Amino acid sequence: MQERAPEMELIRQAQGGSRAAFDALVRQYEQQVLRLALHLTGSEHDAEDIYQEAFLKAFRYLGNFRFECSFYTWIYRIVTNLCLDQMRRRKTRREDHAVVLDRSGDEIDLLASVSDERAFSNPAKELDRKHMGEKIQSALEKLTPRERMVFELKHYQGLRLRTIGEMLNTTEETAKNTLFRATKKLRTQLAELR
Amino acid sequence: MNCDLMHERLLAAAYGELQDDLVHELERHMSDCPNCQAEEAQLQALKLLADAYPVLEPEPNLVARSRMRLEEALDALPPLRWYERMMQRAGNNIARLQGMPVAASLLVLIGAGAGGLGGFRMAEIRAAQAVNQTVPSALGVQMQPMANGTPAEETINISSVVRQPNSGMVEVRYNHVVPERIQGSLEDPAIRQLLMLASENSDSEGVRDDSVGLLAAECRAGHGCQATGIRDALMAALLYDRNVEVRRKALEGLEPYVTQDVQVRDAVLEALMNDPDPRIRTAAVNLLQPLEADTSVREVLYSVSNSDRNPHIRTVSRQVLSQVPEIQ
Repeated sequence: MQERAPEMELIRQAQGGSRAAFDALVRQYEQQVLRLALHLTGSEHDAEDIYQEAFLKAFRYLGNFRFECSFYTWIYRIVTNLCLDQMRRRKTRREDHAVVLDRSGDEIDLLASVSDERAFSNPAKELDRKHMGEKIQSALEKLTPRERMVFELKHYQGLRLRTIGEMLNTTEETAKNTLFRATKKLRTQLAELR
Repeated sequence: MNCDLMHERLLAAAYGELQDDLVHELERHMSDCPNCQAEEAQLQALKLLADAYPVLEPEPNLVARSRMRLEEALDALPPLRWYERMMQRAGNNIARLQGMPVAASLLVLIGAGAGGLGGFRMAEIRAAQAVNQTVPSALGVQMQPMANGTPAEETINISSVVRQPNSGMVEVRYNHVVPERIQGSLEDPAIRQLLMLASENSDSEGVRDDSVGLLAAECRAGHGCQATGIRDALMAALLYDRNVEVRRKALEGLEPYVTQDVQVRDAVLEALMNDPDPRIRTAAVNLLQPLEADTSVREVLYSVSNSDRNPHIRTVSRQVLSQVPEIQ
């Protein structure tokens, strides 16, 4: 609550037209927005576009924010909708799933950039892990955009199902069912790895 | 126990979403169900596998670039116009109202209640005015309030007036939503009020005749026509009733007051000037005879003696005028 009080003040100031207050809100949430968009789209370029569009929308419609939910939920709702639109537009994705493109078009290997700190790690296991990561990304791509979003928000972002339901304008129960379907599909896809 | 349901609960438990009261039930089921134990193992494997596609923190360059691009876009945005700000505020206000359904419902209920009550009061006032307006205003006739709660103002129509033989009792039948009946003495203010209404409103000539006849008899007998509106009712009947017999009876009832009441005298003079029936005009001349010295009476008699279309009335008028020495 103590953390929310200054945030509410920032929001009120931003609603009153304070650009500095809005910038402060952007700095508070930009990492999370980019992280989610990057993981979902697999593209820095798309993540940057989503970031831009999300905060522009937030700026334009901040006057409509009525403190009925947290600002976090509100901004995530905007971002998830934009990500869903993006995923629907890009149903056919690149085959090289473990690789994302940076701004200049260069490839970044997400799996290679994560170090394995386990004591028994070795190059062979690293290779296996990278292979697994690719398979998982491929399996994730085969989910519907909505299933992918629910799994992303639950498994990777660690949000409560209730919050996910709020963000996606649905109920907690529907979010739970969607998560159940997503895990079933993923298990079928990944059966060969086990 | 249904394993499909348990699989759903297993997933909820794996993500920390299972309610506390269901955890124990799930554990008991798991201890006896190899199928669900396998399901749990697969779920844990999936969670482990999924972590092989990690979530990375965005690089500082990406964050800085995104921020700069956003700032440029924000700088390029035109400021909100006044009507856009107004619409935003209006939208917020409406949403706030929607957020308070109880308050909105109360407002609607209060508004409807106040409107209904106001409408009811207005209807009452108008009904009262409508009753009062039935009395001719030319003579300044006033409706007297009823005593003893008699429904005079709400009376719609009087159907009959009957005097009981060998008694001072009168029976008046009237419609008051449903037909009703009241019985009482002619001295009874309620009866008198109904008779006055009957003399002015009833569609039935017989009812008007009966009621005016009774009221006139009361006046001729000297039974308290002073304070009530009976005299006014008789004047109205004399001047406006369509039935000559009713007018004649009204004129008879007014006779005791011609000499003392200027209003009555004026009403009789008007009847003399304008009544279409010569019998009424003749009776009026006779009534005015004791007042031949009155200026207004003389003027009317003079006019009638010259212009009345009935020769008998002209003659009678001249005879009356001839008795006044000043005119000769």
